Amino acid sequence: MAKVAREMVEKAGVNVDQLLELLVKNASAELTTYYYYTILRVNLIGLDGEGIKEIAEVARIEDRNHFEALVPRIYELGGKLPDCMKAFHDASACPPARLPTDPRDIRAMLQTLVEAERCAVRGYTHICNMTAGKDHRTYDLALAILNEEIEHESWFSEFLGEGPSGHFMRHGETSPFVSKFLK
Amino acid sequence: MREITLDELRAADGHEGRPAWIGYAGRVYDVTESFLWQRGSHQALHKAGRDLTVELEAAPHGAEFVEGFPVVGQLIPRSTGGNTCER
Repeated sequence: MAKVAREMVEKAGVNVDQLLELLVKNASAELTTYYYYTILRVNLIGLDGEGIKEIAEVARIEDRNHFEALVPRIYELGGKLPDCMKAFHDASACPPARLPTDPRDIRAMLQTLVEAERCAVRGYTHICNMTAGKDHRTYDLALAILNEEIEHESWFSEFLGEGPSGHFMRHGETSPFVSKFLK
Repeated sequence: MREITLDELRAADGHEGRPAWIGYAGRVYDVTESFLWQRGSHQALHKAGRDLTVELEAAPHGAEFVEGFPVVGQLIPRSTGGNTCER
């Protein structure tokens, strides 16, 4: 635990235990989404599915990166991950992104993907609001993750016909915002 | 519509098998079955058994998330019994 770092955050007026619970819940959301996206990606097949497979894969890998980036901050602040995987899954800040009943229904697949991203966008916006100007390190991390979650949302939203995402897909690299926390 | 007092709302806190109800804009909603309201707690910040009308204003989502839950009844803004006297 980084004792003084936690003390500074507490002194700035952040309820650190509450923040830690949120960070654990969001770490759970990232890892469980990585798991569920694996199943979604495998089932993105056929003429329609193949077109979405690559961005689903990028979102999947980046969500795992978010989990990896969140864990050190949880321990720095004196928190920990649950020792039971089921408890960790059930603590997720977002509902499970389960495979739709009909996996050939690409629109249903996209709805599942975009809803998962929207849940994440809400969650990290909230953490940013909670830590802005108070817990600089958590804010920096949450903002980096938020940037990537917003891009994921806009990719899937574009495929749903809600309008252009405004940017282009990744060129081989992943996590352009979060990678600095993974080095 | 069924009338629900603040005491009844407070008792539905989602703990020990009790239902999880939340108040919003004069109505009481049942969130017991929601994945995001397990054990009467939502995102580490919000607790069941309370009127969350004011808290929702600061939430990163709109009222539509609450209004999608089953309505239990109408919240009566007055407690019954207890040790306090109304003035």
